[in-house]
Amino acid sequence: MTSALLVPTYPSLAAPALQGAAQVPAHEVSLAVTLLFAALLVGMILCLAFEEKLHAQKSLIVGLFAVVTLLAGAVLLPLPYGPYLIGEQEIALPVYIPAIDWGVITIILGASLFVDVTSRSGLFTWIAIWLTKTSRGDPRRLLWYYGFMTVAFSAVLNNVTAMIIVGSLSAVSLAKLERSDKLLGFLLVEGLLTNVGGLLTLISSVPNIIVGTAAGISFVAFFIKAAPFVLFVTIATLLLGARIFEIRGLATPEETEEAARLVEGFDERDGIESRGFFWFGAVMLVLFIVAIATASVTPYVQDLGMGFIALAFAAVMLIRYKHECDEFYRTVDWDLLAFFAALFVVISVMEHAQVLAFIGRGVEALIALGPRAGTAAVLLSSAAFSSVTDNIPLAAMLAKIVAGIPVPGGGVHPPGDPLWWAVIFGANLGGNLTPIGSASTLVAVTIMHKHNVPLSFVAFVRKAFPFAALHLALAVGYVLIGT
Amino acid sequence: MTRVDQFESVFRSAARTVFEPKSIEIESVLVVCDRDGSNAEEFAARSRSFLDVLDKRENLHWTTVQGGEFRTVPDLLDRVETAHPGLICTHRHLHSESWRWPYTLGEYVDVLTQATTTPVLVIPHPERPEFQQLAGRRPRAVMAMTNHLTGDHRLVNYAAHFTEPEGRLLLGHVEDDADFERYMEAISKISTINTDMARAEIHARLLKDPEDYINSCREGLARSAPGLTVEAMVTSGHHIRTYRRLIEEHEVDLLVMNTKDEDQLAMHGLAYSLAIELRAIPLLML
Repeated sequence: MTSALLVPTYPSLAAPALQGAAQVPAHEVSLAVTLLFAALLVGMILCLAFEEKLHAQKSLIVGLFAVVTLLAGAVLLPLPYGPYLIGEQEIALPVYIPAIDWGVITIILGASLFVDVTSRSGLFTWIAIWLTKTSRGDPRRLLWYYGFMTVAFSAVLNNVTAMIIVGSLSAVSLAKLERSDKLLGFLLVEGLLTNVGGLLTLISSVPNIIVGTAAGISFVAFFIKAAPFVLFVTIATLLLGARIFEIRGLATPEETEEAARLVEGFDERDGIESRGFFWFGAVMLVLFIVAIATASVTPYVQDLGMGFIALAFAAVMLIRYKHECDEFYRTVDWDLLAFFAALFVVISVMEHAQVLAFIGRGVEALIALGPRAGTAAVLLSSAAFSSVTDNIPLAAMLAKIVAGIPVPGGGVHPPGDPLWWAVIFGANLGGNLTPIGSASTLVAVTIMHKHNVPLSFVAFVRKAFPFAALHLALAVGYVLIGT
Repeated sequence: MTRVDQFESVFRSAARTVFEPKSIEIESVLVVCDRDGSNAEEFAARSRSFLDVLDKRENLHWTTVQGGEFRTVPDLLDRVETAHPGLICTHRHLHSESWRWPYTLGEYVDVLTQATTTPVLVIPHPERPEFQQLAGRRPRAVMAMTNHLTGDHRLVNYAAHFTEPEGRLLLGHVEDDADFERYMEAISKISTINTDMARAEIHARLLKDPEDYINSCREGLARSAPGLTVEAMVTSGHHIRTYRRLIEEHEVDLLVMNTKDEDQLAMHGLAYSLAIELRAIPLLML
């Protein structure tokens, strides 16, 4: 993460976060000031947790806190105003501009534009409907297909988009099969699996991008480490889901024939406007994944970063809609992007106010429990926090903290250190404990309500707990294998 | 959450209603007319000749109820209940002179179409010239007519069953302009909906669903009735005028329509309006 806010003569805005964090100088800040800023941080986290009650969007909540913390920082802290040295040139920038991690912002902006345009080709709906037909309407087979599709879509798209696609398909196809009584089970399992699928690659979820970038984990290394866990947990979740929600296969030949006839009515070509663009979208999606996967080793591209790849692919895809690009710009989740920008500003000020160092001492205390117990404690506490609040600020904060914790023998935690993985697994899987723990489970609950399958907060926790407990137990075991 | 709705729309659009072919079994036909003796026999013979396609296919058992055998509606209903036929073949304005005016079907046919579950074939009145022309007429061009064709498997199956093996099955779906314009007017007053886009998209969608369904009927019937030519008549306009135009343009020999509606006791408006106006062609009222 760029830390030019703290290092006015930072060599490059694209420099790795680890380097930046290691260069954070210690300021003389009184404990009272640190506690004041810590209170602001707690206030922001609480407001995010009660976002629904406040009827305010994330960007505004965090934006207001960014304004207050910046003002308080200007009064109480020695903020490092520019000019900033970029390459050989000194550039004057407002103090809050270099505080933002533009690498993360450009990945999210580019990837969401790319995915939006690609989905217009009908590719994702084609896959979803083709799988539905392949299941021949057997509910158990449908659960397995949709489960793996959720994981795959969560890995390639963002979790919310994956949940929207698979959740809406589940509602429509179960209604068509006259099995809407199973909708709750399908949506809950899919919602939980979005967070599992979100662990598959470096770009599958924002915490992965933030922590992975801070830790210097490459796309391939991330995938190799996460894939076996994701596969195993997906199978376990589907087995448990089929058992708890009594999703069984079709029993009689008549039922099988009737279900097959009903799903036969789905036409996977319905959403395809142009076959040429459909195939172009499919090829571009594969190339996008390959480009992202090889970003760290591709000459020239490695200097430009993954954000460049995402934006470049989005630009190429937009050529198809050159007269109506603005339509896609409107569909970008500007609330999310503004939220990130404001969050990075808040975190930077918190770092400067020694709040992160203060929390870091707590994390250090956890780590001091020992390599195994400490790592497990970090994972479980990350999960506990991310179950009640947004996992993005948590990930951003913990990434900074872990990057700043010195390791015995000097230096910082290497990319393969279990501590990084404890943060990644905890931040992602914690979202499965409550309906507000992640945006995708919230989408799942919203689809349930839309289809008159209400599930209260407590009921969600009760139904999701066996799954979440299983996920966390497996995650602890898996991460500890590497210690 | 608008994106949930967007994707649900995409998937609902892809979930098409597929035609379900089902064989129609008619074992007996009850011919009802208000004539007696040779006139009644002539009516029965003309009806039988028109339905030659069914006779050849199923070796039907024919019974005739002559005019002297019933004097009231309950009498006729008793005869129908006793015979328990698969099809009633009759003409409008039984025991009435009102056949000269296109204002009703006559009390007997009105009640028959609603009080029994048996399909009723209404032949042109014996006094009309079209009745005389019925001798050489066969159901070569049969039109199934409704204002909501998609999913109406029974209507299509009946229409196909009554069509000559090498005949034309015309599947009609007319979206009523008056209804459409009424909704468009409401939409034009809602600032959050783009009126032009709504007009184009809703109109296209209203016509696409029946077209997709007709395509699936074509595929389904290609297996069960390979000689049949299935033609789509999907359009928008004034219900009655458009159907009348289509019937004339395509020289329809038999019009098949639904006359029972779960929500109302009387025959629903469109079917009744058409039934009383179209006096020159046989009507199969389901």
